[in-house]
Amino acid sequence: MLKLNLQRVVKYVDRLPLFTRLVIVLAVALEMAAVLPWWDIRAWGRLEPDLFNVWTLYRANTYPLIHTDVIHLIVNLFAVTPLVERFEAEYGTLTSLALFFGPLSLLPAVIYVGIERFLLRSNTSIMGASIWGFLLIGMEAIRAHRTTPYLVIRGQPTIPMWTTPIAVLLLTAVLMPGSSFLGHLCGLAVGYICGMGLIKLLAPPAWALRLVEDKLNLRLRVPYYVSMDQVAHGRFGVLPLTTVGAVPTSVLQLRRDPRILKLPPYLSLLCILVGAAWLFLLPLDRYSRRTYISENALLPGQVHTYFGGSDQNVFRAYKHEVNELVGKSNAEFNDKLEPIVKSLGLKTARQNFTYHAAGHTYSGENLYAILQAPRGDATEAIVLVAAWENVKHEVNRNGIPLALTLLRYFKRWSLWSKDIILLLTPDSIAGPQAWVDAYHDAHDTSRVASLPLKSGLLQGAIAIDYAQENRFESVHIVYDGVNGQLPNLDLINSIVNIAGGQMGIGTTLQEMWNHDNGYPDRLRTMLRGMLKQGLGLASGAHSSFIPYHVDAVTLRPFGEGWQDEMAMGRLVEGTFRSLNNLLEHLHQSFFFYLLMQRERFVSIGTYLPSAMLVAANFTIMAIALWMKSGQPATPVEGVTPKAKTETPTTTAERDLFLPLGVVTLIQSLSIIPLYLFNHAPESMLTPLFATFAVINTLLPPALSHLLTHSHTPITPQQYNLIQSFSLLLLGMFLSSLATLNFSLAMITGLLTSPLSFVRPAKTQTARWAVTGLLHAISPTAVLVAGAVCWGVDVTSVLREAAVGWHVCGTYSAVVVWCVWWPAWVAGSVVVLGGRGGGQGNKIKVV
Amino acid sequence: MRQFLSFLWLSLLSISVFSSSAAADSDYHEQLNLRPLPFSGLLASFNFRSNTTVSEFEKGNFRFFPRSLGQILQHAGTRELHLRFSLGRWDAETWGASPWDGAREGGTGVELWAWLEADTDKEADHKWLTLTNALSGLFCASLNFIDGTRTTRPVMSFQPEGDHSTVTNMHLLYGVLPHEVVCTENLTPFLKLLPCKGKAGIATLLDGHKLFDASWQSMAIDIRPICPPGGECVLQIEQTIDMVLDIDRSKRPRGNPIPRPPPGHELPCDASKPYHSHDTCFPVDHAANQEWSLSQIFGKPMKGTCPLTDPAVPPVCLQVPDSRSVFVSGGVREKKNPNHISRCFDIPPSTELEMVLPAPDDVTAQSTVPTDIVTPKSPLLYAERSFTGHGQERGGVQTILRNPSPDTAVDFIYMESLPWFMRIYLHTMEARVAGHSANKSSLIQQVYYRPAVDRARATQLEVRMRVPPASTVFLTYDFEKSILRYTEYPPDANRGFDVAAAVITVLNKGQIQGEGESTTKSGGGGGDGGTTKGGRFAAYTLRTTTLLCSLPTPDFSMPYNVIIFTSTAIALAFGGLFNILVRRFVAADEGPEGGLAMVVGRLKGRLLGLLKGVKGR
Repeated sequence: MLKLNLQRVVKYVDRLPLFTRLVIVLAVALEMAAVLPWWDIRAWGRLEPDLFNVWTLYRANTYPLIHTDVIHLIVNLFAVTPLVERFEAEYGTLTSLALFFGPLSLLPAVIYVGIERFLLRSNTSIMGASIWGFLLIGMEAIRAHRTTPYLVIRGQPTIPMWTTPIAVLLLTAVLMPGSSFLGHLCGLAVGYICGMGLIKLLAPPAWALRLVEDKLNLRLRVPYYVSMDQVAHGRFGVLPLTTVGAVPTSVLQLRRDPRILKLPPYLSLLCILVGAAWLFLLPLDRYSRRTYISENALLPGQVHTYFGGSDQNVFRAYKHEVNELVGKSNAEFNDKLEPIVKSLGLKTARQNFTYHAAGHTYSGENLYAILQAPRGDATEAIVLVAAWENVKHEVNRNGIPLALTLLRYFKRWSLWSKDIILLLTPDSIAGPQAWVDAYHDAHDTSRVASLPLKSGLLQGAIAIDYAQENRFESVHIVYDGVNGQLPNLDLINSIVNIAGGQMGIGTTLQEMWNHDNGYPDRLRTMLRGMLKQGLGLASGAHSSFIPYHVDAVTLRPFGEGWQDEMAMGRLVEGTFRSLNNLLEHLHQSFFFYLLMQRERFVSIGTYLPSAMLVAANFTIMAIALWMKSGQPATPVEGVTPKAKTETPTTTAERDLFLPLGVVTLIQSLSIIPLYLFNHAPESMLTPLFATFAVINTLLPPALSHLLTHSHTPITPQQYNLIQSFSLLLLGMFLSSLATLNFSLAMITGLLTSPLSFVRPAKTQTARWAVTGLLHAISPTAVLVAGAVCWGVDVTSVLREAAVGWHVCGTYSAVVVWCVWWPAWVAGSVVVLGGRGGGQGNKIKVV
Repeated sequence: MRQFLSFLWLSLLSISVFSSSAAADSDYHEQLNLRPLPFSGLLASFNFRSNTTVSEFEKGNFRFFPRSLGQILQHAGTRELHLRFSLGRWDAETWGASPWDGAREGGTGVELWAWLEADTDKEADHKWLTLTNALSGLFCASLNFIDGTRTTRPVMSFQPEGDHSTVTNMHLLYGVLPHEVVCTENLTPFLKLLPCKGKAGIATLLDGHKLFDASWQSMAIDIRPICPPGGECVLQIEQTIDMVLDIDRSKRPRGNPIPRPPPGHELPCDASKPYHSHDTCFPVDHAANQEWSLSQIFGKPMKGTCPLTDPAVPPVCLQVPDSRSVFVSGGVREKKNPNHISRCFDIPPSTELEMVLPAPDDVTAQSTVPTDIVTPKSPLLYAERSFTGHGQERGGVQTILRNPSPDTAVDFIYMESLPWFMRIYLHTMEARVAGHSANKSSLIQQVYYRPAVDRARATQLEVRMRVPPASTVFLTYDFEKSILRYTEYPPDANRGFDVAAAVITVLNKGQIQGEGESTTKSGGGGGDGGTTKGGRFAAYTLRTTTLLCSLPTPDFSMPYNVIIFTSTAIALAFGGLFNILVRRFVAADEGPEGGLAMVVGRLKGRLLGLLKGVKGR
C-alpha cells in the first residue's frame, strides 16, 4: 500500500543528519543567490572543461551544489538526500564532509574534464548534485552485488546486480533531455571504484577525525551530528531541543517556543522588503518578456490599407464643418452632424444622459450610428469612438472629421463581418460610460436613456483622440480602464505591430515620449502604469468599455513629425481590419500584465507575488499578535527569563469583546468619509477635507482616551487583539484586491506596511514621535502630498474621485476609506495605548 | 376558314383555361422582378415555379419536378416542405416590407420545416431524420446537424399552405441552423433543380459572386400540393431567390473590387459649400439613386429565355415609376402595367437582354424622399431583438416590436426556439407598451411553452400577442446560461453560440383583409400572388436577427496541455517503473503454475507415472 504518512515524512526530515542538511541548505542558498542580477553564479560555479585549471579548482567543489533551475534542484535533492543521508549515517559527518568536498567531487570532475577535453574535444559544462547521486548509487550497487549478485526474475538469475545503476543512467538520459550522460557516467564509475574498496584509501585517517571530534566535543555541541563511532554513541550525538533520549516532537514544541514569537516581525519585514524589491527586478530582461501576437486570426499589418487619396478632400470638408461647431452646444453639433452621418447611409440615434457628481451636473447627448455589416447579421460589432473633448478638455478637431471620413470609407467595403458603430460623445468620460452602460442594460434609466438602436456583441473599441493640429510623429496608446482593468494585450500588440511594422509610426505608452528601452525608462513606464492602475480612474473614452469585457484603447497622435491625418486613418483602418478578422472574442492573450515598453511586459504570474508578499506580512503579524495575546500577561518584575520559558504551555483567556467592538466601530466609521467625500458639492470639498484632517488627527487620541478611561481599563492583551484583528482584515482585503487591481493593493500595502510594526509606546516621547510618523502615512497626508507632488489642488483630486465614483463606478475610494483608513486609525490607537510609569503598574494589578 | 376557326377555338380554349386556373395549368414559369430601393439598393426577386400532377408524381414521372428532390420527398413521406437559406438581414427601416410579405424569408442560416405523414411521433422523428440527412447531401449544407436539440414542433406559428384534405396524420417539424454560412456550394445544387439548370433564362444572371456579395439574400424552396377546385391535385415546387444588391458595390468590376478612393475630380461634391475648392469636397453621394445596367449589376447580360417557360408570363419585370425611361436591347417589348409603377418585358427566345436604367432627368432633386423610385411599402410590424445584461451567468432577451399603423392593431405569433443551454425564466417574461404601463395583460394573449430538456430538447416558446396601433411593445424575458461539459463546446467556442432568429407571424384578420392583402401583394411583392388561396393564415412574416450568446468558456489549451504532458510523462516513466517496483519476484519453482504449462505438467506427470508403472511391472 502506498500511503503517504505525513508524520513519518516529518520525522524523517527532522532526523536528517548534519552534513545532509548542510548540502540541502547550500544548494538551496546557491539557487536563491542565482537570482542576483549582477552575479551569474552558474557561470561562476559550474564545471566547464576548458576553464578547469589549478586556479579554478574551486569549481570542483561548487559544481555539485549549483543547479540550472529550481526544478533541477528539486529533482536532484529528492534523489540525492536519501543517499547522502545513508552515506553519512554510515561513515559519519566529518568523513562525509571530507569526502564530498574532496575526492568524491574532484575525481568525477577530473575524469569528466579529461574525457571532454582530450577525447571529445568539446566544452560541455555540467552542474548539479546528480553526479553524487550516481556515485552513491554505484557504491550501493556494488555493495548489493556482494550480497545478492543477480536480480532474480522468474527464478532465473538474469541481471547482474551491479548493472542496475546503468539502467537508471540510461533512463535518466532518455527522460531528462538536458542531463549530461557523460557526467553521470563519470560519477557512476567513481562510485563503482569506491564501492570496490577505494573509499577506505580516500577517506582521511580515522584517528585524525576522532581527534578533531573529541577535542571539539562535536558530539555534544553540534545537533544532528553523526559521530565516527556509532556503536559507542548511538546514531546522533545530540537530538535538538530535547534531552537525550526523548522522542523529537519538536514540531509540536516549536509552537510553544517563545522564540517563535520573536520571529514574525522579521519575517514580515522580509516579506515587505522582498515584495518591494521584486518590483524593481521586473524591468530586467530576465523577468519581463517580449510581447507577441497570441491570436493568430488577428494577422496585424497583413492587409493593404487604401484610405487616402480623395478621402483627404472629404476629410478637409468635414473638418471645416466641425471647426464651425467649436464652442457651440452639444445639441447644436449633434443636429449638425446627424445629417452628415445619415447621408453616409448609416442608421443614427441619440441618447441623453445626466450624471450628478460633486455638485456638478454632467449631462449631454451621445450621437451614434451603426454601419451594418453588408452581409452580416447583427451579432457582433466594433466601436469607433470620437469624443468631442478629450480628458484634458481639448476639442477633438481632427478626430471627429477623421472618424466621419473613415466611416464613409468603411461603407464602401463589403468585407466587414461585424457591424461598425460610430460613437460621438460630448466628453470622454460620462458620454462613453452612459452609452456602454445602456448598451449592456446596466444603466439607471432615470439618469441615462436607453438606446433605441442596438447591434450585437461588442468585440472591440478604438477611440480617436486627435486634438493636435499639426502633423504628428508617433501615436500614444492609452489603455488603462476603469478600476485598473486592462484590455487584452493582443489588441495593444496589434496596434503596435500595425503602426510600427506597416505604417512606420512609432508608438508610446504611459506618456513616455522618449523611451530608450533602458532599465530606468522601463521602470518609469511600469510605475506610471501602476499608479494609473492604482488610481483606477478613467483615462480616456475607451476606459468605460473595459469593465464590460470589451477590449478598447485610445489612440492619441503626438509630437512633430511628417505623419498626416490619413496615416492615422490607415492605422485605424488596419486595426479595424484585424479586429474584423476575429472569429472569436479576444481571449488568447493576457488581461493582467504590466507594460514597461511597447514590446516588453510582465504577466500576472511574475508580478503578483510581490503584492501577495506585502499582503501576507499583515496576516503573519496578525497571527503572531493573536498568539502573543494568548500568552499570559508577563509580570514585569521578579521573573527571570528562564522561568518564562518554562511556562509557555498555558494559554491566557482572551477578552475578545472589546477589541472586536473597537475594530467594528472603526470599520463602520469609515462609511462617513466615504459618503461625505462622494456626495459633497465641489465648493464644500476643501473645507470638508480640512475639517476631516483635523478630526482625523484628534480621533485616535480621543478613542485612546475613551478606552483607557472607561470603568474597565483596557489591557495590553486587548491592544494586541485590536491590532491583530485590524491587520487580519487588512491582509485579507489586500490579498483579495491584489487579484483584481494589483497596483492598488501594492500601493496601499506599502503605505500601510509600518502598521505591522507599531506597538504600544512605552514612553510619552516615543508615543508622540511614532504618532507623528504615522500621521505622515495617513490617507489625508498622502492625498495632500500626492496633490502637491503632481501640482494639482486637493479639491480637483477629490472631485475626480467623486466623478469616478458616480459615473464610472471606481472603487478606489472604498479601498482608501474602508480599508486603509480604518487600519491606520487602529494602528494609531494602538500606538497611543502604551502606558508609562504608574499606569503600567495599574495594568500589572489587573 | 376551317383552320382559322380551329385556331380561334384553340386560342379561346387556352384563354379560358388560363383564366380559370393559371397556376395549375402552366407547368413551368420563371420571373425576375427588379425593384430599386432607397440608398442605392436593388431588390432582385427570382421566382421559378413548376407543377406536376400528384398521380404523375406518385408514378415516378418527373418532368419539371426535380427527380432527386422528388424521390427524397417520397422516401421520407413528406407532404409539404419549406427550406430557406439566408444571409444578412432585411433592413425594414430603409427597404420597407420584405418581398412576398416575408413568406419566402428565412432567418440567417438554414431553416427547414416540413409536414410529414406519420402515425406516431416516433415515426415522424425517424422520417425527419431521413429527410434532413438526405437534404443535407443534396444541398451541401449541414442540415444533418438538425438533431433533437434543434427540432421543435410549432403549434401556432405555421399552417400548411397546400391542400391536405386527404391526409389526417400530419406532423409539423421545424429545425433551424443559425450558424450555417450559406455560400456557393448551396447555390449550385439549387440551380440544378431548375429545368434550364441556369443555362438559359433569368437563372443565367445568378452568379455566386454577385449573389453572396448582396446585402441580403434568401434562397427558398417551397413544395406543396395544390388542389384547384374541380381539377386534379398538383404538386408545386417554387424556388425563390431574393437579394438586395448594393448598386455601388455591384458596379465595381470583378477584376478590381477594391474600393479605392476615386480621383479627386470624380468625386461628386457639394459646390455650394463656402469652403469648396479643388482639395476640399463635401460629398453628396447616396443622395440620388444612380443609374445602372443589367450587365453591370449582374456581371453579364441575360441570355435569352428558358424555352420551357410559359410564354404568357413575362420573364423580367421592373418596378420604377412610369416617368423614368428604360433602355432595353432590340426585340424586347416593354409592357407598362396599369398601376404606373411597374413594367414588364417580353423577350424573344435566344435574345440577349440588356437593360439600362439611366439617371433620372431631374438630377437637382435633393429631397429626402426620392421620387425616381417606387416608395417602399411599410411593413405591418417592425421587430428588433437584442440581448440585455452582461456577464456569463445570466442575461435577458429584449424584443422591440413596433406597429407603424396609426389605426390598426396587429395580432401576431412570436416564436422562438432557444438552445437548451439558455434556460429561460418564463415568469420574467413580460410585455409592456413603451411610454405607459397600463393594460399589460392584454398584450400577451396566449403562451405555448415547452421547456428544454438538457442535451435533448430545445426550448420552444410561442406567444400570441397584440400590439396596439402606433405603439411600441417591449417583450422581455431573462435566462440563465448553463455551463457546458468540456466536450460539448464547438470549435471556436469563444465566439459565442448562435441563437436562431425569432419567427413572427402576423395573423390575417379574416377574409376581408385577406383580399385586400392579396392585391397589395401583387404590387409590393412583385410576382403574381396567386400561389395561395385568398384566406391565407399569415398576412406577413418576419424574422429577427440571430443573436450571439456568450457562455462561460474554459481556457481550453491550458488543461489540455497539462493533461497531455503529465499523462505522457507518467505513462512512460512512472508506469514502467511502478510496475517493476510493485511486482513481487519469486523463483519459478516457488510460484504457482498456471495455464497451459500446468496442464502440460500434469499430463507429463501422469505419463511419467504410467511409464514408471509400466517399467515397474
